[in-house]
Amino acid sequence: MASCDVKPKSVSHAKKWSEEIENLYRFQQAGYRDEAEYKQVKQVSMVDRWPETGYVKKLQRRDNTYYYYNKQRECDDKDVHKVKIYAY
Amino acid sequence: MVAEKETLSLNKCPDKMPKRTKLLAQQPLPVHQPHSLVSEGFTVKAMMKNSVVRGPPTAGAFKERPTKPTAFRKFYERGDFPVALEHDSKGNKIAWKVEIEKLDYHHYLPLFFDGLCEMTFPYEFFARQGIHDMLEHGGNKILSVIPQLIIPMKNALNLRNRQVICVTLKVLQHLVVSAEMVGEALVPYYRQILPILNMFKNMNVNSGDGIDYSQQKRENVGDLIQETLAVLERYGGEDAFINIKYMVPTYESCLLN
Repeated sequence: MASCDVKPKSVSHAKKWSEEIENLYRFQQAGYRDEAEYKQVKQVSMVDRWPETGYVKKLQRRDNTYYYYNKQRECDDKDVHKVKIYAY
Repeated sequence: MVAEKETLSLNKCPDKMPKRTKLLAQQPLPVHQPHSLVSEGFTVKAMMKNSVVRGPPTAGAFKERPTKPTAFRKFYERGDFPVALEHDSKGNKIAWKVEIEKLDYHHYLPLFFDGLCEMTFPYEFFARQGIHDMLEHGGNKILSVIPQLIIPMKNALNLRNRQVICVTLKVLQHLVVSAEMVGEALVPYYRQILPILNMFKNMNVNSGDGIDYSQQKRENVGDLIQETLAVLERYGGEDAFINIKYMVPTYESCLLN
C-alpha cells in the first residue's frame, strides 16, 4: 500500500514527441498520470501493448470502460505540449 | 395634313368606302406565330411540323438514393451496443463497456457495418469508430465474418452519397489489411462491391493547375476508389487483378507492368 501514496514531486510539459511521450499521452487520455498510477489503481502488473510498435493498446478507465488505441502514432505534434511528464 | 385630305376626299365620294377599308387592311397586323410544341421523342406528336422533340430524361445513375432506417440505429437507440461516447480534447472517442476481444463478432460487426449507411451524428460516428476499433483488434476473428459484411457494404455504396462512399471505401481498405487472408476472401464478392466503384471511378476534378483540397483530406472519390482498388489487388492474391478488371474495365494493375 505504500506505493499508493506515491505522489509526483514535479510536473513539466512535453516539448518533443517520442515513444515515451506517445505512451504517456495514451495513459493521460484514459485518465491516469502514467503507467505507474495505472498499475496502482487497476492492480495489474502488465499493460497491453502492440507487439509491433510497443505502444499501449488497451487501457481500462476508472469507470471500468475500455479505451482502445491504434497501432500507429496517435499523438499529433499539435497535442504534444498537452502531455504532462510527472517526476517522482 | 394628309389625314385631313383623306377625310375630305372620302366625304366627297361616299362610294369609295370599300376602298378605304381595303387600305386599312393592308396595314401590318400582329402575325400569329404558331409556337413550337415540345414533345417526347418517338410519339405521334413528335411527327408534327411545329413540334420540338425534348431530349431524353436523365437516367439518374449518380443521383443519391433515399436512405432507409437502419438496424444499427434501432439497436443503438435500444442501447444494445456496449459503447459510450467520450468527449476529449482531441475529439470524440468510443469507450467500450466490455472488452472487444470478448465481443461476438458474428453479431456485432455486421451490425456496425450496417451503420455505414448513416449520415448523421451520433450514428455515423459510432458506426465508423466502432468498425475501426473492431477491425483493429479483431485479428483472426474477422475472416469468418466476411460473408456477412458484404450486403451492408453494398447497401452503403448503393446509396451513392459521396460522404458515405468515402467512409465505406476507407473501411474497406482497413478491412483488407485487418487480418491475414481477408483480401483473398473478398475476391468472390467483387461482383457485389465493385459496380459502384466502376461508376464513380472517374469522379475527379479537373482543376487545371488549381488545388483540389479534397485530395489532402482524402475525400476525393475518384482518388479513393483508385487507392482502394490498388489495395484490393495487392492483398487479393493472384486472382484479384483479373476479377477487378472484369468489374472495372478501366482499372490498370498497380503490380504488373
